[in-house]
Amino acid sequence: METIKNYLEAMFAGMPNTAEVRKAKAELLQMMEDKFNELIAEGKPENTAVGTVISEFGNLDELAEDLNLTKEVEETRTRESETPRRNITIDDATAFFANRGKKATFLALGVMFCIISIACPILFGEKLENISAAMMFTCIAIGVGCIIYSSFVDAEWKFLNKELCRIDMATANFIKERRRSFESTRALCVTIGVILCVVCWVPNIVETYIGLNVAPALMFLLVGIGVFLIIYSSKIYSGFEKLLKLNDINTISGSYYEQNISPVRYKSKIAQTIVEIYWPVITCIYLIISFLTFNWGLTWIIWPIAGVLHRAVVINCRADEE
Amino acid sequence: MVEISSDVIRGYNDTMILYILMKEPSYGYEISKQIRTISDEKYIIKETTLYSAFTRMEKNGHIESFTADQDPNGNGKKRTYYRITDAGRQYYREKCEEWGLTKDVVEKFIEQ
Repeated sequence: METIKNYLEAMFAGMPNTAEVRKAKAELLQMMEDKFNELIAEGKPENTAVGTVISEFGNLDELAEDLNLTKEVEETRTRESETPRRNITIDDATAFFANRGKKATFLALGVMFCIISIACPILFGEKLENISAAMMFTCIAIGVGCIIYSSFVDAEWKFLNKELCRIDMATANFIKERRRSFESTRALCVTIGVILCVVCWVPNIVETYIGLNVAPALMFLLVGIGVFLIIYSSKIYSGFEKLLKLNDINTISGSYYEQNISPVRYKSKIAQTIVEIYWPVITCIYLIISFLTFNWGLTWIIWPIAGVLHRAVVINCRADEE
Repeated sequence: MVEISSDVIRGYNDTMILYILMKEPSYGYEISKQIRTISDEKYIIKETTLYSAFTRMEKNGHIESFTADQDPNGNGKKRTYYRITDAGRQYYREKCEEWGLTKDVVEKFIEQ
């Protein structure tokens, strides 16, 4: 059935994006689907069924004539030939994601080095002033170098921002699949990243008990690693979004990006309110407890607990998907 | 193998569709299947031809479309059905007469 959908998509690529054309496309898909299902029910192998359906489809010129679209089809073709949209294939997408991984790594490393650089003077203190300053500037240099390199590394993909491009349905599905499988990695990276940023105070607390000097330096190291994970995963994720957003109103298939977002539904109005006020309420609780007890070293525990609870609350409040 | 010429049959796609819709309202694939069966598998109408005919005839007022569930105990998915109008019935009569005439004329030039 995928092949049939792709075929239809390709046939309609040159048609203008009007309500009539969308209706025609939907109706034709329905007819093809019916035929395909019946052939499969008759016990035909899938390849044969696809072949039969496609060979009996006909061509769209006749339809364009009957829909009085000859002029529009001509216009669309002219526009396509004057300002052709560059087609992004699955191979292109794979290459883009490999490149994106590289860019994300260097950008995240760059920011991490800049944050860690602050740890150097703390670590070596005033005793080794020269060495600590030298190390700090080395870190900053490496960091800035990485950031600059990361902005050049994707030079060959800059055209995505300047030229009109499009993706077909097979590519869109491929990207969505990649995005779906990256989802858990991203969740893990962001969670660990946030936890590291939150627990960066722990070395300071431990220091007061044990008396280690490295604590403040360790704090910047933890934040650095945390920020690295967050930037790296977000940058890769935004790569998927970028390609999915390539199609727009002028491409017949519309945007693949919006189709994918279904509004979240809740079990009831109360459930929706609970989810909406969850984080503001937690913030209030955190601030109130912290100010009352003045035990800032401990009250941060509210955040990881609230984070875990949030998931449970959301799952319980959301209506089941159909 | 001789194949049917789409140029020749083109003028009579409407007639076939109206003939099927005279019996009961129907939808795209069902109509194409019936054309195939009634013609003893000799004529397979293309999907685009069929849909063009629907839009053209609907514009001319020969048929009307409406949406209904796929089957009574259906899965909730809607399907577009077509039904014939009075104008459509009259048009069908005219086309039948026209074919009678056409057939008579062409027949005179055919040598078996």
